[in-house]
Amino acid sequence: MIWNSKEGTPGPGEARTRERQRRQMFYIGLAALIGGAAGFLTGFFDQGHGSLFAGDFAQLKLPPMLALGLAALLVGGFILLPLRGFGMIDDYKRQQNFVGFTGGCLSVLAGYPIWAVLYAGGFVPAPHAFGIFAIAYVSMVLSFLYARWRL
Amino acid sequence: MKNRLKVLRAERDWSQAELAGRLDVSRQAVNAIETGKHDPSLPLAFRIARLFDMRIEDIFDDGDPA
Repeated sequence: MIWNSKEGTPGPGEARTRERQRRQMFYIGLAALIGGAAGFLTGFFDQGHGSLFAGDFAQLKLPPMLALGLAALLVGGFILLPLRGFGMIDDYKRQQNFVGFTGGCLSVLAGYPIWAVLYAGGFVPAPHAFGIFAIAYVSMVLSFLYARWRL
Repeated sequence: MKNRLKVLRAERDWSQAELAGRLDVSRQAVNAIETGKHDPSLPLAFRIARLFDMRIEDIFDDGDPA
């Protein structure tokens, strides 16, 4: 972390900036914890032979209560936590997030029909849910990194 | 948009983190504004002007002579 600090005792502004940074790291850590817990629990308690990552959802089998718990955890990790985060970040970071989400959204809007016509033409396997999710996620991350680099 | 933020900050011997904290924004936002990569919103421009006790147009220059 580059603080660009001058000599001497940090001023009140630096203290607030450090607090902001700590809060940000807490939310990133919490999001990673939720993601890790969801992935671990899904893999550990999967009673079928499916795989989240291969898009083989049909053979995934989880205890119903665990499935409900995981769904609640994912609502927290993918909806509530980001929404809370958006309320705390400044305009500059909101702009970067805007670019990231726009990239993810446009990739899905274009990616799905492109994938579908390529499938119809016999070039690729049929579109599947995890593939669409992966397109959105990877595009969002790449768009966000582009925004951080350029903006 | 050109601005005098870096000069004003240096005059007070503040780090970017110090200024960021006083404005309640991230250090990256201060850096982006100083380097002209990001234009602040109107509320943030007002906060900057108040912090330095100046008018917005004395800090920011959009290059329009009118």
